[in-house]
Amino acid sequence: MSCGDPHETDCGEVLAELWLFLDNECDHERRELLKRHLDECGPCLEEFGLEEHLKALLARKCGGDHAPDGLKQRLRQSISEIVMRQAKLGAEVTVEQDGAGTVVEVRSSVESHTWRYRRTEVQER
Amino acid sequence: MVAGITGATLPVRREGRPVSGASVGGPVDAAEEPQAQTAPEQADPQLAAETAQQRTARFERDAMPLLDQLYAAALRMTRNPTDAEDLVQETYLKAYGAFGSFRAGTNLRAWLYRILTNTYINGYRKRQRQPAQQPTDEISDWQLAQAEQHTSSGLRSAEMEALDRLPDSDVKDALSELAEDFRMAVYLADVEGFAYKEIAEIMGTPIGTVMSRLHRGRKQLREMLTDVARERGFLRDAEVAS
Repeated sequence: MSCGDPHETDCGEVLAELWLFLDNECDHERRELLKRHLDECGPCLEEFGLEEHLKALLARKCGGDHAPDGLKQRLRQSISEIVMRQAKLGAEVTVEQDGAGTVVEVRSSVESHTWRYRRTEVQER
Repeated sequence: MVAGITGATLPVRREGRPVSGASVGGPVDAAEEPQAQTAPEQADPQLAAETAQQRTARFERDAMPLLDQLYAAALRMTRNPTDAEDLVQETYLKAYGAFGSFRAGTNLRAWLYRILTNTYINGYRKRQRQPAQQPTDEISDWQLAQAEQHTSSGLRSAEMEALDRLPDSDVKDALSELAEDFRMAVYLADVEGFAYKEIAEIMGTPIGTVMSRLHRGRKQLREMLTDVARERGFLRDAEVAS
């Protein structure tokens, strides 16, 4: 549907590119063209307003979660353990996930250590 | 047991050469391809080998402040706090391991998100035994799929007001109901503000696929939110612009 008014660019074409405009992903020339259309076409501007609103709504309501207390500290501890063992063994360290947590393995030509992190616990095995 | 495709190896490394540009590339590859680590690196006399202490300090300064953001993204991916915490932990330990080769001047945030995404895809999704969701986004020309129209009345403002009244949890729930690939594309673009090119690198897909996922994800999301607003009585049927 068109608003009925003659435009340099067709409404359908503009609506198809609203997100590109909103995401700042079109080139300058295209941007100016779309801007001109939005200036003169009320219905397209309204649609743009709603899409813009939705984007802002998502940003406002879906972000901002904070990592649990202590995660940072546990990470620091894990890292310093890796560094320590690495220095001690001159070894290669791998990090991977299995069904029950994060497994860190330190391998060198003489010995091998594996330990596991699952949030609050550090278990030697 | 030992790292397969998902493992990152952590040998003592010298810092990679600084490369200009906003590419996400570089050390992420280390997280994906452990064998790449054995390739001889070109010696760069300009850069002295970084000590573990220096690397740890650099990691603390640059990567640690992004922990909350990464956790929020992990929460949107896994949809549960326990898995999100494990996922972030593994991501950070891998990132630390590959940090020695992280190239200064590249985009650290995008790099961390890429490790997060790879770790999730290679580990958690398999473990959760979720069937990989196929959002059928193979339409190469995403614009062809559109037959856009606008309504000519002032229904939009009613819809906007109704959406604003939705509690955060409704919006988060709606996002979490989107197919995984759509959900991540929308999250990365709208919540994290990444450019299409960065999202393409993080998700390992062409830009056209990112655009298609974004377009369809947002469209579905808007429909879902409008439905919820109507269920909650914030919006009368007549006020829904279609």
